Amino acid sequence: MVKTADIVIVGGGISGVSIGYFLLKYGAKNVVIIERDFLASGATGRCGAGIRQQWGSPLNCIMSKFSCEFFETAVDELGFDGDIEFHQGGYMMLVTTEKELAQTKKNVALQNSLGIGTKLITPSEAKALAGPLNTEGLLAATFHDRDGHLNPFTTTRAFADAFVRLGGKVYTNTSITGIRTSNGKITGVDTNRGSIATNTVVNAAGGYVQNIADMVGIELPLYSKRHNILVTEPVERVLGPMLMSFSLNFYCQQTPHGSFLMGRTCPDQPRDLRITADSRFPVAMAKTIVKVLPQLKNLRMLRQWAGLYNMSPDNHPIYDQVPGLEGFYLSAGYSGHGFMMSPATGQSMAELILGLPATLPWGQLGFSRFTEGNTIHEPSVV
Amino acid sequence: MLEKTGVPTQSEIESVFPSDERLSKGPVAVIECFQSIPCDPCATACPRGAILPFADINDRPVIDNDKCNGCILCMTKCPGLAIMVVDITWSQDRALIKMPYEFRPLPDVGQTVQALDREGTVVAEAEVIRVQYNKSMNKVPIVSIAVDKQLVKTIRNIRTICDTPTTATHTAIQEEAQDTGIVCRCNDLQLAEIRALIAKGYTTIAELKQMARLGMGPCQGRNCLPVVVNELSRALGVPVAELPVGSFRPMVKSIYLGDLAGYEEQGEN
Ligand SMILES: Cc1cc2nc3c(=O)[nH]c(=O)nc-3n(C[C@H](O)[C@H](O)[C@H](O)COP(=O)(O)OP(=O)(O)OC[C@H]3O[C@@H](n4cnc5c(N)ncnc54)[C@H](O)[C@@H]3O)c2cc1C
Ligand code: SF4
Ligand code: SF4
Repeated sequence: MVKTADIVIVGGGISGVSIGYFLLKYGAKNVVIIERDFLASGATGRCGAGIRQQWGSPLNCIMSKFSCEFFETAVDELGFDGDIEFHQGGYMMLVTTEKELAQTKKNVALQNSLGIGTKLITPSEAKALAGPLNTEGLLAATFHDRDGHLNPFTTTRAFADAFVRLGGKVYTNTSITGIRTSNGKITGVDTNRGSIATNTVVNAAGGYVQNIADMVGIELPLYSKRHNILVTEPVERVLGPMLMSFSLNFYCQQTPHGSFLMGRTCPDQPRDLRITADSRFPVAMAKTIVKVLPQLKNLRMLRQWAGLYNMSPDNHPIYDQVPGLEGFYLSAGYSGHGFMMSPATGQSMAELILGLPATLPWGQLGFSRFTEGNTIHEPSVV
Repeated sequence: MLEKTGVPTQSEIESVFPSDERLSKGPVAVIECFQSIPCDPCATACPRGAILPFADINDRPVIDNDKCNGCILCMTKCPGLAIMVVDITWSQDRALIKMPYEFRPLPDVGQTVQALDREGTVVAEAEVIRVQYNKSMNKVPIVSIAVDKQLVKTIRNIRTICDTPTTATHTAIQEEAQDTGIVCRCNDLQLAEIRALIAKGYTTIAELKQMARLGMGPCQGRNCLPVVVNELSRALGVPVAELPVGSFRPMVKSIYLGDLAGYEEQGEN
C-alpha cells in the first residue's frame, strides 16, 4: 500500500469512485480510494439505480440534469469496455390525490423552466406508455422520456476502471480505522493494512459516514435508515418506463435483464445500521404493486434485501469541508437518491477540493445552510 | 410425491431397478424416467435393442435387463439425465455407479466427493474412479464413482466441493470440457466466462454475482455456487473455508406476488 497520498477517499461506492474520477480528470494526483469490503458493497450495490430529473427543488433539478446527461455518454467519457445498462425508458410519476396534483403542476413548470422536458399526461396517455398499468384511481401522471435506470455494479466499475487508468489506486478489503490530526488539520489515516500520510480525506462512506466522523469526534447532522427492496424472476419486457408514486408509496422498474425491482418506504425502520431484511416489507410491497400492475401477481419474488439511506435534515446532500477540521471533506446525506446524483457529486467535490470555479450550485450545499437557516425544500422524495 | 417434490418414492425406485439377481450379474442400466413425456432418444440409442421400441413417443422406456450390458450409450443420449449404470460386482464391498454429470468443474480421478441421495442430501463419500468425456458423448460427461454397496439404490449424484485447493492438473480434453461447461444454468454462464472474470480481478462470489448475475437466478445459487467456490479456490490457491462468503439469499420456495399480497402483514424485523 502507498505510504503517502494527496487525497484519500473513504468508501468505494458510487460517490467515492465518481469523486475519484473527477478529481483525477481535473488534474489531482496521488488519489487513493479505500474500501472496507468490495466496490459497490454498500448502498450502491443495493439500490434501484433509478435516474430521474423530475424534482421539486431547482437545485435537485440542475444536479440531476447534469448527472443524467453525463450518464448518456458515460461509456465513452469513461472509456468503459462493458455496459452500464442505461435504460432510458422514461420515468413516470403517478398522481392520485388533488394535493399531489397541485404540487406536481408546480414541479413540472419548474422542471420545464430549467430545460427538463417533463410532460403532465392523462391516465389514458399513461396507459399508452405503460401497458400493464392499472389506471383506476389515477388523476394524472408526469413523464420524462430521458429518465430511466442503470446497472449500479457496472456503473461503479466504469468509474473505478477510469480512475485506475488515470493513475488512481483502489484498495478493497481495507478499512479506515483511524484518522490522524494535528493542530486542527488532517495528517493521515490508519487502515488495517497500514497508514497513509495525507492532508486531505474525503468521507464518502455512505451510511457509515458518522462512524468515520466519530474517529475525529465530529457529529454530523445526518442519520442512516434502512430501506427495503425486492426482485422478481425475469420475464420479457412488458414495462418501458420506471414507475413511481409518492401517494401510493412505491417505485418499480423492469431491468434490462427482465426482472422487476421494487421498493417502498416502510414504517419503523431501524436507524442503527442494521440491514437485515424486514419480513413485513414483501407483503406490503406486493399489496401495492398488484394494484398498480395487476399482471405482476403472476410473477414470483426471488429475493429481498435492504440497504441504508443516509438522510440529511433537508433531503439534500452535504458537499463541504467539515467545519473545525482542515482537509476533512464530506460528501453524503443524499437521502435516497445519491446514485442518480453521483456525476454531480464527483464534479462538485472535485471543484470544491481543487478550488476550481463552480459550474454547479454546490455552494448552497454546505454545512452553513443548517446554521444560517438556508435549508432547501424538496417536496418530492420517497 | 414425484410431481410435488421431484423425488421418486422408494417403491417407484424399486419399480425401475433391475432384480437383485440381474444386479449380481454385472453392469446394467437403471432408467428413472417416471413421467409420460414426448421423448425417445434412449430407445433408438441402444445397439443391443435392450430398450424396447416405443409405440408412442410419450411412452415410458421399458428395458429388457437381460439384453443390457451397461455400455452407457443410452446415458449420453438422454436429455433428462435419467439413466445411470450400476455394477455391484465391481469390487468386494463397493459398487460402481456411472452417472451423467453436466456440472463443471468435472471431478478429478481419485478425488473424494460427496455422494448425494435423490433429495440432494449428503449421505456418504465416494471415490471418483473414472471421468469419460469425448466428442461422441453428446456433451454429457460420465463420471464413475465407487460407493458402499449398501447405498447403490440411494446414491444418485455427487457434489465436488472440496476443502483444500485442488492441485490435480486436467487432461486437455477435460480442460476443454471445463471451459464450455455451463456453471450457472439460470443465467447461462459458462465456466470460461467465470474464469475470465476471475482473471480480471473479480475474486469474490459477491463480485462475480454483481458482474455476471451468478447465483441471482431462480435457483439462487444452489447449483452454481459450490462449483464456483471450487473454481475460486483453485484459481487463488486458497482453501474453500478461507474464501469470504458472499450474501446468500436462497428462498425456500419463490412466492408469487399475488400470493404474498394476500397475506396479512405479520412478523417483525
Ligand atoms: C434499497 C435502496 C434503493 C435505492 N434506490 C435508489 C435509486 O433508485 N436511485 C438513486 O439515485 N439512489 C437510490 N438509493 C440511494 C443510493 O443507493 C445511495 O444514495 C448511493 O448509493 C450512495 O452511494 P455512496 O457511495 O455514497 O455510499 P455507499 O454505496 O454505501 O458506499 C460507501 C462505502 O463506504 C464503505 N465504508 C464504510 N466504512 C468504511 C471504512 N471504515 N473504511 C473503508 N470503507 C468504508 C462501505 O463499505 C461502502 O462500500 C437507494 C438506496 C437503497 C438502500
Ligand atoms: S446401457 Fe447400453 S446396453 Fe444398456 S440400455 Fe443403455 S445403451 Fe442399451
Ligand atoms: S431419453 Fe431419457 S427422458 Fe427421454 S424417454 Fe428415454 S429415459 Fe426418458
